Amino acid sequence: MPMNERYKPAMPSGALPMLILRVLHSGSLHGYAIAQKIHLLSSEVLAVEEGLLYPTLQRMLLKGWVDAEWGISETNRKVRFYRLTPEGRKQLKAELLGYERVTEAIQAVLRTA
Amino acid sequence: MVREFFRRMRYLLNRRQFDEALEDEMEFHREMAAREGRKNFGNTLRLREQSREAWGWTWIDRLGQDLRYAVRKLVQAPGFTLTASLVLAIGIGVNVMAFSLFNLVALKPLPVRAPDSLVRLQRRSPEIIAGEMPYPSTLFYRAHAHSLQAVMATMGAPPMEVENDVQPVSNIYITSNYFGELGTRAALGRLIDTAHEESADAAPVTVLSFGFWQRRFGGDPSVVGRVIHLNKKPVTVVGVLPAAFASLEDQNADVWLPLSQQPYFVDGSTALTDFSAPGVRVWARLASGVNSRSAEEELLALTNELRKQYPKVIWDHEYIHSDPAGHSLVMQREMYQVAAMVGFLVLLILAVACANLGGLLVARGVSREHEMNIRTSIGASRMRIFRQLFTESILLALLGSAVGVALSCAVLRVALVQLEAPGWMSARPDWRVLLFAIGTTLAAAVFFGLAPALQMARHRQRKTLARQFLVGAQVAASCVLLIISGLLVRAVRHLLYTDPGFGYEQVVGISPGLDNHGYTPAAAQVYLEQLKTRLRSYPGVASVALSKIPMLGNGLTSYMSVEIKGHPVNIYPNWVDPEFFHTMSIPIVRGRNLLPRETGAVVVSESLARLQWPGENPVGKRLWPDGDNMDIIVGVAGNARIKALNEDDAVEAYWPVQPGDMAQMTLVVKTAGAPDGLVPAMKSMIEQIDSRLFPNIWLLKAGFHHSAQQVEQVAAVVSLLGTVAVLLAGVGIFGLVAYALSQSMKGIAIRLALGARRTQIVASLLRQFLWPIALGMGTGVGAAAVLSKTLRKFLFGVSNLDPLSYAGAIATLIGILSIAMLLPARRALRPDLAKLLHYE
Repeated sequence: MPMNERYKPAMPSGALPMLILRVLHSGSLHGYAIAQKIHLLSSEVLAVEEGLLYPTLQRMLLKGWVDAEWGISETNRKVRFYRLTPEGRKQLKAELLGYERVTEAIQAVLRTA
Repeated sequence: MVREFFRRMRYLLNRRQFDEALEDEMEFHREMAAREGRKNFGNTLRLREQSREAWGWTWIDRLGQDLRYAVRKLVQAPGFTLTASLVLAIGIGVNVMAFSLFNLVALKPLPVRAPDSLVRLQRRSPEIIAGEMPYPSTLFYRAHAHSLQAVMATMGAPPMEVENDVQPVSNIYITSNYFGELGTRAALGRLIDTAHEESADAAPVTVLSFGFWQRRFGGDPSVVGRVIHLNKKPVTVVGVLPAAFASLEDQNADVWLPLSQQPYFVDGSTALTDFSAPGVRVWARLASGVNSRSAEEELLALTNELRKQYPKVIWDHEYIHSDPAGHSLVMQREMYQVAAMVGFLVLLILAVACANLGGLLVARGVSREHEMNIRTSIGASRMRIFRQLFTESILLALLGSAVGVALSCAVLRVALVQLEAPGWMSARPDWRVLLFAIGTTLAAAVFFGLAPALQMARHRQRKTLARQFLVGAQVAASCVLLIISGLLVRAVRHLLYTDPGFGYEQVVGISPGLDNHGYTPAAAQVYLEQLKTRLRSYPGVASVALSKIPMLGNGLTSYMSVEIKGHPVNIYPNWVDPEFFHTMSIPIVRGRNLLPRETGAVVVSESLARLQWPGENPVGKRLWPDGDNMDIIVGVAGNARIKALNEDDAVEAYWPVQPGDMAQMTLVVKTAGAPDGLVPAMKSMIEQIDSRLFPNIWLLKAGFHHSAQQVEQVAAVVSLLGTVAVLLAGVGIFGLVAYALSQSMKGIAIRLALGARRTQIVASLLRQFLWPIALGMGTGVGAAAVLSKTLRKFLFGVSNLDPLSYAGAIATLIGILSIAMLLPARRALRPDLAKLLHYE
């Protein structure tokens, strides 16, 4: 398939929770900001679909990795902010470690095969 | 995991807030995206639903929706709802009722102290099962068995006279630890206990049952401490049992007496010291940590020890068998068979009810086709529709089951009173019954609701296969019930209206109870001669005879199981004098009668003669050609299944009375007219000879009618079930045929217009029901033939394959099915042609 300009690589499955945990590491954010930050930090390569973001956030609430609290947005609106819990920090460490090992392994295969 | 569960629960409880927050958040997201010029935020509703799914509670919302919808649908069709829940109420109610009874007697622990560790002990050997054991051996086991914490014994006795009442009272002797072991508390006064009644020379006391206290003493509390007379012996009433008293195996008596005082009430009794007396029924409480198996091992060792001391007393290979006794009934294998049989019969009723309802639902499905089509076209999945329809079925099942449980409770309450059940039994359903009811309800919902729901969800409403299956199932189930009720009804008729081979209308049985009073055989012989002479000279007495085995009264039945030409046969032996055959009106068909004081001779019944020597004359032959026993057959008597009315294979053999058995003899007296008025005269005659005796006198016809009554009751209940089943099936098939015809009305009309004959058309339409009916009947007949084997005990000489019962059942079924099919068909036969062609 010829690659055209509008092609955006799909988010690797399972990466979204890790990315959310990572962007929340530096402070609490609301849902929209999470999507924005991932989009910007990935140099606009990764787009976070709303249809994926909110179910994922709910799952993370259920798992206890994040907490939600009410705050005021930049536009002066009352909105829900997500914050990393100690459990979330642990989960982030574990996911990063796992991710590094997988990427190293993949690269090793790509280099030598 | 635990914390995750708590978070889930918190979500469930604060669902509304969570939902609002989510909605708010998405709205904010949408606003922000719109500012940046992006407007392709997805369907918010759908997104929210997807997000909520993470918490795993969406099924509750769907269930709520389904339930609300189902309620609405059922309320819209009140006629259907009422019919359906009534049909189900009958099916489930009958099952809950049967289970409740089984629960009361076999599952629910007796409300006594630690019922789990109670066992019943029985003497057994490979050939013999004895319900009772001698009291001295009981004492031996009690003294030496370490695996038993306590041993309780009871001894039944003939009814006793209270003061000068005409009506004698039932009574029972018990060991003094009986009430203490069961943890019974007196309603009034105290009970018999080890502190007071352990020693034999304690003052004579009695405890009254609650019912007797109410009936005889009007519930007067001052009865405690009063002296009353039982068989003319003074005895002090010390207390009254509670109304809800639970005894071992629900033994029931008006008057409870300490076993140690039995010799006081029965002059000269040796029952407590005699190793050869049959004696007492025995129960025990296992020591803690001991199982019944190791207790049985220890008891076996003790039995062998006892044999060394009393070699004559213990049988070859004797052992003590234990059964759990913590329930109202000590269940034996054959009782489980009967229970399973009854269970199957009531399940058939449920099957008929479910099949019936299934038919209703299938028919309703077609009228709801339109609704299903709309729901599918607006995006409902098959799964969703199926779930919706099945919710309706479950709701219907719950409705029917609630009515059914209420119905069964009401019937059970009446039945318990009718059956004079012990006071602790209550009709209120316990957790086992409720669990059973719920299980049955769900099973019923699956059985009647699954197929129609699947069919409707897949838009296959018009397929005939399900309809045919439902017809077949109903026919098969009602066929089984009809055949079995037919068999039982025939059995009752057979018992009541055919000659049982002996006379019972004008015969009185007398058990003077000489052995209870320590008579020696010689003294008994003198007594019996005296009594016979007096009875014979009494006006109205035709003849008097001796019989060791009591005829149609209480008391022991013994039989020998032997094998004749490869078939197991039960021989019922008796030891009689020459007058016996005449008195019982049993004919001697060959050879001669027994002679007075004869030995080595035996009279056999025709059935035994036919089994052992088919086609030969057995007179003059040895009874046991192979053994050491030299008894010669001198005569053949007519068949008379006196002790085994219900046993088809039973045969009889009669030996002359033995001098050593004299103290155990009973008498049979044939009267010239009705025997009813002679009983008091006979009683005083016996007491005149020896005033210590309290004879047991009974009318043989009462015993006979008692046996007949039991079968009559069973037959009545099963016939009722059969009638209910066949009516349900008839109505169900009527509905299905009417519906099938109404569906093809247009086709009929067109074919009529084209000149086809009406009968032909209807016949072709009915043909689709013929093979399911035939198949159902075949299955039903086969199942009935197999099942009825377990019923043989109740069939009183009617074969379980009795052709008349089968033919009758099939004819009845065909009759009802024909009516059910032809009534709706008649309407189709005279249709208004013009109207039909304009139909739809």
